[in-house]
Amino acid sequence: MLKINRRKFVANTVSSGASLALGSRLLGSPRAEYAVSDTVEKTRNLMQEVLKYRKIDAHAHVDEEHYKPEVNLDFADRLGIEKLMISDFIRPHTEGTPDDFRARNNFVIKCMKAHPDRFIGTVALNPRYQQASLEEIDRCRDAGMIGLGELYNQVKINDPLYYPIIEKCIDISWNIMMHSPIGYSRVKLNPREPKDISLPEDFVDIARRYPEAMFQFAHIGGGIDWEHACKILKDAPNVFVETSGSNNEANMIDFAMKYIGEDRLVFGCDYSFYQGIGQILSAKLTEAQREKIFFGNISKRLKKGGRDVD
Amino acid sequence: MLIDSNAYVGHWPFRRLAYNTLEGLSERMKVFGTDRSVVSNLNGIFYKNAQHANDELWEWIGSKRSYKESFIPFAVLNPTYGGWRDDLSVCINRYGYKGVRLYPQYHRYDIANPSCIELVKTCRDKGIPVVFASRMVDSRTSSWMDIEKEWSLKDIVPAVRAVPDAKFLIMNVANSTALNEEDMALFRKADILMDTSGRSITNWGDLFKRFGAGKFCFGTQSPILDYCTGLLRIESLREEEADEQTRERLRAGNIKKMLGI
Repeated sequence: MLKINRRKFVANTVSSGASLALGSRLLGSPRAEYAVSDTVEKTRNLMQEVLKYRKIDAHAHVDEEHYKPEVNLDFADRLGIEKLMISDFIRPHTEGTPDDFRARNNFVIKCMKAHPDRFIGTVALNPRYQQASLEEIDRCRDAGMIGLGELYNQVKINDPLYYPIIEKCIDISWNIMMHSPIGYSRVKLNPREPKDISLPEDFVDIARRYPEAMFQFAHIGGGIDWEHACKILKDAPNVFVETSGSNNEANMIDFAMKYIGEDRLVFGCDYSFYQGIGQILSAKLTEAQREKIFFGNISKRLKKGGRDVD
Repeated sequence: MLIDSNAYVGHWPFRRLAYNTLEGLSERMKVFGTDRSVVSNLNGIFYKNAQHANDELWEWIGSKRSYKESFIPFAVLNPTYGGWRDDLSVCINRYGYKGVRLYPQYHRYDIANPSCIELVKTCRDKGIPVVFASRMVDSRTSSWMDIEKEWSLKDIVPAVRAVPDAKFLIMNVANSTALNEEDMALFRKADILMDTSGRSITNWGDLFKRFGAGKFCFGTQSPILDYCTGLLRIESLREEEADEQTRERLRAGNIKKMLGI
């Protein structure tokens, strides 16, 4: 548990010098040293706590309008996020043609090339265009991308149209990150959601069909009833549950720990950077558990796909 | 000093809460270094007669000597329910409450309702703030029995326009902060604070430019939202975005000034 007092501050400073150095570098502009008042010390301790953990944001977006790469990096620098797994997802209620997803992936590749140490590109595709999607995986892999995501709601994750794509991802050990719905708690789906949105039950179904595949259930803080989702996903060991979203309800992470566990929870922001980090620091977690959620779990998956970020 | 302007105790009928007692809240405050918390009783949203919740909170605060130092109690009132004037008087004069929280969405009256405006005027005359929340919980993931509509900043405007010299706290700012030119001028001039718990508190550069740093204060919306995010929004500000003096105003200075403490 985060405990901000002088003793802990000193201990953290001693035990995590490397991480702190990294945090200072990421911050860009080191904080001025103030005369040590009680409040300033608390402040400094909180940011030390934030910056001491290595972090990979497993759910980030880029585009030229709403999710600008430089804004992503500004938040990442501020909060000590070392790498971001970026995608330019196919927008809901659009056809998602190959021209569309290729252009989106091209923008991701451009961002990766501009910031190779910070951005890890993930691939958008639409299984309705199956051959083009399979070819797009090869093209993007050659360009250095790794993993699918954020797959949107053009096709349900357990639709047979996805089978060849999932099988290809198994062959190359790629993570498959798929959007999840909002408004599930009101029993019937929010009318904004397309009919092909992937429900937690759909993830469980596909995870059982392909136990060797690596799925990532996106944003339990994205508007779904997270208690419902975690209970459904409890017994799907090859589904990572990712913590991003703007809904930073207290107790969400603690509840997810109970049902999903420390080895399957992964940190993400989905552009809600403060909430993404704040809720992990608020939760009752050990340092080792935070390290796994912020970095270790997704890092292992990336390594399986050939990307060593350690 | 660190003062949380937006904390609760009590029960939420649709979700099991943790840290929702004064003891639990005290524990969170210790962990995150909060010196004092403005606190109200969630039960007041759901009791038909909200005054029971104010009585409860007064009893809870009286149960331990240190609570009087740690907590700044706010009443929950429903100005469309019988006896609210007496209840307000009891809360201020007997219980020593320092502000009033109103929930027009839950108590089902319009913010421009004459009784609501009368209550705001009464609070103005007594020098205490009135609190509105943009939302209590995220409607996307709330219960099917909960209300669905969330407010944006412009929904608060009728109360500010009706009583521009009152003190207002606006909590959990979660939707649009867009205001037309006239309303923005009204907001800038009025004695208004927004807490840092809401999801719309993201782009500080824009918020400071539009509203000024004097319009914000630390708040958690605990135990409904996680305790840390509202604080992180302040503490991760860079020196060039907010100097130490500005951050101190966000942590405690602005709310202290409003409450006269």
